[in-house]
Amino acid sequence: MGSATGRAPVGQNGLGWYVYGVVDAGEAQRELAPPTSVEPAHRVTLVREGTLAAVASKVPLEVFTEEGLRETLSDPAWLEPRIRAHEQVLEAALAVTSVVPFRFCTLFRSDDALRAFLGERRNELREALRSVEGKIEIGVKGFLSGDRFAESFAERDEAARGLRERAASAQGGRAYLERRRLEQLLAREVERFKADAAHDIHNRLLASANHGVLNPTQSREVSGREDEMFMNAAYLVDRGQAFEPEVEALASEYQERGVTLERTGPWPPYNFVPRALVEA
Amino acid sequence: MSTSERHALQQQVTLLELVDRVLNKGVVLSGDITLSVAGVDLVYVGLRVLLSSVGNLERLANEAPPRAALRSQAGS
Repeated sequence: MGSATGRAPVGQNGLGWYVYGVVDAGEAQRELAPPTSVEPAHRVTLVREGTLAAVASKVPLEVFTEEGLRETLSDPAWLEPRIRAHEQVLEAALAVTSVVPFRFCTLFRSDDALRAFLGERRNELREALRSVEGKIEIGVKGFLSGDRFAESFAERDEAARGLRERAASAQGGRAYLERRRLEQLLAREVERFKADAAHDIHNRLLASANHGVLNPTQSREVSGREDEMFMNAAYLVDRGQAFEPEVEALASEYQERGVTLERTGPWPPYNFVPRALVEA
Repeated sequence: MSTSERHALQQQVTLLELVDRVLNKGVVLSGDITLSVAGVDLVYVGLRVLLSSVGNLERLANEAPPRAALRSQAGS
């Protein structure tokens, strides 16, 4: 955008391919027509090699090389629209066909480099496409409200109820001790409940999915939530499968114990790329 | 928190969900690709900036104004 004026046009040599993902070349006959790209001056296109096609757009390498990125990646104003563009392009592809998503900022220096990659890794890429064919990713996060859990626990648990009543009727040091014991009991129960709930919810959702992964939970500061995250999962489900009712049913079942389940997606299957294609 | 602040926070949280996937997942390649391992580390620098801006927004939303005012006085 900014390079259009006041600077010599970047020649073919100055441009590389930014790859968003890989699709089946035969399936993606229809135009993907994503609304955007990571560099709006260059539109998204399909680079075909055999039966595979890379969903890609040209980018000036001077911006996307290590040196260029050193400046730009630490700038949220630069990073955010490009992260969103990466996702929007993949969602446009996902609307038409199955897609194997690539990580942000995957670049190839030239046409030849990209085609060589598609040729050399065609078996892994075809296998990856096969494994996500007709499937989408759904995210499910579980949050626990400490207060609501404590409330429901005190109602259910005799020991907790007893401690609470004694704390309420006792005075001074005795009341303090009863409250401490109640807090300690609660702290233990919260930990046990979070582990049990994550295990139970995950296993029951797995029954309705092809695959599922439990990712590390996010801290309150990162999640931006008051409630504590106790589960951060992703599931690979068939397109059109009624996965939502399963999540809703679990949400209702766990609601009174202070659990909120948050469903996101459909996402491109970021979490379900075969290990052979993750060379971190 | 006003409606527009809440909306901004929601936007940031959605971005976070996105960042979690776009930067951490998907096909990861090495080889003839301009972005080196060092470059990938740079992505995480950017990510931390983004995350800290989410954290800041959250703090702004929760922090009582007098405390914030105190802090800015102490900083000046």
